[in-house]
Amino acid sequence: MSTRISPPAPAGAPVKQRTDGVRGLVDRVDRRFLPVVGTVLTLVVMLGVGQQRYSTSRVDFISMRMFSNLLLDNSYLLVLAVGMTFVVLTGGIDLSVGAVVALVGLVTAKLFTAGAPMPVVLVLGVLIGTLCGLLIGVMVQVFDIQPFIASLAVMFLARGLANVVSTSSLAIDDPGFSALASWSIKFGEGREMWRINASMLTALGVLLVAFYVLHYTRFGRTVYGLGAGDRGTAVALMGLQPDRTRVWVYVISGTCAGIAGILFALYTKSGFNLTGIGMELDAIAAVVIGGTLLSGGAGFVLGTGAGVLVYGLIQVLIAREGLDSWWTRVFIGAVLLAFVVLQRVIAVRRR
Amino acid sequence: MTSTTTQSGTPRPPGASGRPAALLQRVSQHGVLWPVLALVVLLLACGLKSPGFLEVVVRDGNLYGQLIDLLRNSATPLLLALGMCLVIATGGIDLSVGAVMAISLAVSLTYLDGAADPTSPATVVTAVLLGLALGVVIGAFNGFVVTALGIQPFIATMILMVAGRGIAMLITQGQITTVTSAPFKSLGSGFVLGVPMPVVIAAVVFVVLVLLVRRTALGMFLESIGVNGEASRLAGVKARSTTWTVYVLAGVLAALAGIVYGAPTMAADANNIGLLKELDAIMVVVLGGTRLDGGRFHLGGLVVGALLLSTLERAVIIFELPSQTTPLFKAVVLIAVCVAASPYLRSRLRTPRPRARVAKPVEVAA
Repeated sequence: MSTRISPPAPAGAPVKQRTDGVRGLVDRVDRRFLPVVGTVLTLVVMLGVGQQRYSTSRVDFISMRMFSNLLLDNSYLLVLAVGMTFVVLTGGIDLSVGAVVALVGLVTAKLFTAGAPMPVVLVLGVLIGTLCGLLIGVMVQVFDIQPFIASLAVMFLARGLANVVSTSSLAIDDPGFSALASWSIKFGEGREMWRINASMLTALGVLLVAFYVLHYTRFGRTVYGLGAGDRGTAVALMGLQPDRTRVWVYVISGTCAGIAGILFALYTKSGFNLTGIGMELDAIAAVVIGGTLLSGGAGFVLGTGAGVLVYGLIQVLIAREGLDSWWTRVFIGAVLLAFVVLQRVIAVRRR
Repeated sequence: MTSTTTQSGTPRPPGASGRPAALLQRVSQHGVLWPVLALVVLLLACGLKSPGFLEVVVRDGNLYGQLIDLLRNSATPLLLALGMCLVIATGGIDLSVGAVMAISLAVSLTYLDGAADPTSPATVVTAVLLGLALGVVIGAFNGFVVTALGIQPFIATMILMVAGRGIAMLITQGQITTVTSAPFKSLGSGFVLGVPMPVVIAAVVFVVLVLLVRRTALGMFLESIGVNGEASRLAGVKARSTTWTVYVLAGVLAALAGIVYGAPTMAADANNIGLLKELDAIMVVVLGGTRLDGGRFHLGGLVVGALLLSTLERAVIIFELPSQTTPLFKAVVLIAVCVAASPYLRSRLRTPRPRARVAKPVEVAA
């Protein structure tokens, strides 16, 4: 097994492929899109490798079923990453989301055991996330605390509160919730069968709303403008509202974390205080792989969607390859390195 | 209008009344004030709750007691925070230190495990040096990505934060490597002249770093890089190699912290050693009065920060609260200290003063 260490595609092959692709496309594509083009190319290469290695005579690797499973397993991550994109575009960071997911999951489970009706529970769950985000936003905007520290504090807060709620896994056996979790629309027959469920619809809905808000509204302009790193001076001179917007991006990220918490609870049908450790890093990694610059101001939320797919595909390929699970982390690190270097190369060429 | 009256009115208000006020202002403006207050309050509270808390006894020539335990527990966060603080001074951050702890311990223990005689001092020294050397390699990698490739420190060091734990798992083959070696164990649980070994190690490192940073120009270089890297480069500071050195230093200190932290149990648990310790280290730096955006830094504040962190963890136990609630109190202290030190609150607290000054000239005029 250890002799097959050279595997993959994820680390080695795509890098070459990508630089070729970038050179060829440089003149035709708007430079802003280059990082996203890199992400999409990586995705294509990974799918190609998967198709090559894991297709059998009966079933293709690339299939609607594979895509629907990918989205099903990563719907919560997609929602988190979309929220994170807003924050990262302003040049901030939100470390609290993983802990918020755990807190929301536990509170949801607790409320269901207390017999609260489902709509109330779902709304309350999302609101917890919103509150956490608001807390970060107020600390960042009013008290001028760096986003890293403010969100770190809220991460500790949410994790501590989750531990107060319960330190053991709470199962959710509310009939309505179970029905929601198992509800799905089926397509196709037999081996070709694939489905769309509530989590996937929610995640895609969040992605589309975020796309609209970021690219077609005044608020979206302001978010991009805040990323210029001049503390919102330019944005304010344009007559936009930097202060309010900076609070709002954290509220959005927190709300997304709340939604992701519910989706994760739907996915596992339980709440546990140790879920989501390191999930914020997964979300940040997906955002970076999706071509958004951590310094803010440049990136696309649809790129984040592609980033989440790349992230999920790495896990699928590692599992299919039969490698031990810790290889996943090593590969994600390698892909992350490849992407930031690529972004850097593009930034240097632009100059 | 008001500003001119203030200026003409203020020149040296009659003698003594100004000085304590100025002193008070300077103390209250100092970043470490709030953490020190928090530490004192916490220690007193613990002392009141459990009378034995403040006692230190000498047994077999070695110091024992809750306070000594506190010092011992502060050693690891202090070692991490020292490296972190220097990195933060240059305007960077090092998220990989927790993973480095796991890797260095994994390497040291795996070497000991394979050695013929794990108890011989030579083997132990080699094992420790191997672990530290790995810290150098990782620090050099971080430094390379940050300075040569010009990638933001946050994401550059996050690569190893994500991948590092996987690498540690590869080294230990996914097992929890355990070894018995008395000399290695004494690095974490031994005593020197009655003082616990980790405390001695942390103190020596602290003193050496303070001398290095404040007795040479290095500290000034670090601050100048943190304030404006390009300007300091134009002024003749070797920004690149200095930054690189700082990441290597952070890597070595993290490796040392990993060995000191893991030595008492002698088990290389790649999944859990140093988990989230990078966040603790950053918290210690912030509690120590250093801002995250680079420039001015205070090494002395780190001692206060590290003590505050371990006192907080201990206080939760003394007050018989479930230990899982510790993050909650960390959050409260972090928010309280940051908000207390924030420019907004300071300016709010300062607003009454100009009015008082304006009032004075009126008296003089009358």
